[in-house]
Amino acid sequence: MRRVTIPALVIVVGLLILVDLLIVNESLASVTTLVIDAVIVVAAGAALAAGGSLGLRRARDLWERRGDPIGAVAVLIGMALVLVAGLRPGASGVTDPAVGWLVVALMVPIGATLFALLFWTTLAAMRRSIAHRSREAVVMVIAAVVVLILLLPIGGPAGEPMANAASWILAVPIGAVFRGMLIGIAILAAVLAARTLLGVGSTDE
Amino acid sequence: MSETAVRLAAPIILVVALAAGILVDANARFEASATDRAAATRFDTVLDGLTPDSLVLVGFDADFGTYAEIRPSVRTLLADLLARDARLAFVSLTPEGRALALAERDRLMRLDPDLEADRIGDLGFLPGSEAALVTVARAIDGGAALGPPSDPVDLAETGLVLVVGGNDLGPRSWVEQVVPRIGPIPMVAVTPTILLPEVQPYLASGQLAALIATPIEGAAYRDDVAEATGGRLGELGGPSTLAVGFGLAIGIVWLLLALVRRMASSRPAREADRA
Repeated sequence: MRRVTIPALVIVVGLLILVDLLIVNESLASVTTLVIDAVIVVAAGAALAAGGSLGLRRARDLWERRGDPIGAVAVLIGMALVLVAGLRPGASGVTDPAVGWLVVALMVPIGATLFALLFWTTLAAMRRSIAHRSREAVVMVIAAVVVLILLLPIGGPAGEPMANAASWILAVPIGAVFRGMLIGIAILAAVLAARTLLGVGSTDE
Repeated sequence: MSETAVRLAAPIILVVALAAGILVDANARFEASATDRAAATRFDTVLDGLTPDSLVLVGFDADFGTYAEIRPSVRTLLADLLARDARLAFVSLTPEGRALALAERDRLMRLDPDLEADRIGDLGFLPGSEAALVTVARAIDGGAALGPPSDPVDLAETGLVLVVGGNDLGPRSWVEQVVPRIGPIPMVAVTPTILLPEVQPYLASGQLAALIATPIEGAAYRDDVAEATGGRLGELGGPSTLAVGFGLAIGIVWLLLALVRRMASSRPAREADRA
């Protein structure tokens, strides 16, 4: 029963949205809006459930003294701080200045710092790959360094050929590989979707 | 030098070099500039078409990993739009984008305390990714208001859509879901280089009116803005070119050392094989 209901639901909703895009009809637009709003509510609910689940999991880790206690405490304190700041009496929810401060002064700098470390960890990973005598890694490292240098915004006589070379590399070889991957993924997704909609086999076969 | 010493010294040298690059007034002597100006010129042409008091819907979904690359251009662009008397309305469909949008909006308000709140509206975070984009498009097309009930923004007045993209949600989703629904309103984008191959076809087809996607294009756009405003806006958030150069040089040297070590250690092994 489940295998029939879900594909049927997907077909009906997909067709509804497509037809609504092509035909101007108020009733159809109302129904489509309802469906889209339902999707948004489900997505919001899923995000909320994921947050709650993370909090519960970390609390249980702490209670049962397993995993990383410092990480669990940090996550729980962070969640509590944002909830208190946004839900305390007189607060204006997500637009409250206290919530804004927590995001702007704590979350953004911490996130940026973690990703800044990625520069170093990527370099370390490249170095390790070279040390392991991987020819593919050497080629990849050389290509990455060349692209990085070419992308530097340099003016003067050296700037123009470098910019032209960077544009060509991005548009032709990298573009070809990237788009080839995207086309491949799209074909695979279309075939899988068609199989699911037509009830041919299952995705976990 | 032993491997352990190199491992310990390299990060310290990198941090010291980056700090030195930033501390030295790098931008005064080592100014980033670009010779390829086509993308910046196209971007300027679209912005020139904006009427005063136009509403620019800013789809802000940058991510922490790639935002550093586009931050100088985004900051200059937001300042440029405000200088052109445009009104901004921020909307985010990813949590990271929301955090960064909040930070940029807060920064704009701190930089100019006289800036009226209605010139930088906040539609907040919309869950639902593509479905939420359809809602945004319908609000633009149907003239509905979005945002908090206390401070809604009427999207019927939208004159331009600006997408600040990231790895999670970028111009591709906006072009697919919004462009067919909003008619002739132009859409422009600022994205990290990694998204360029994905977004380039939309630029070629005209679905994206203009795009800044590489550090070179960003530098050219900032140059244009600095020139147009007598240097007043071009200095905003410009990267320290010297620090970037130092970081790159140290990274390359560190990798070259590994390569040399590898070659040196593989030679005796090959000779032993031959023997």
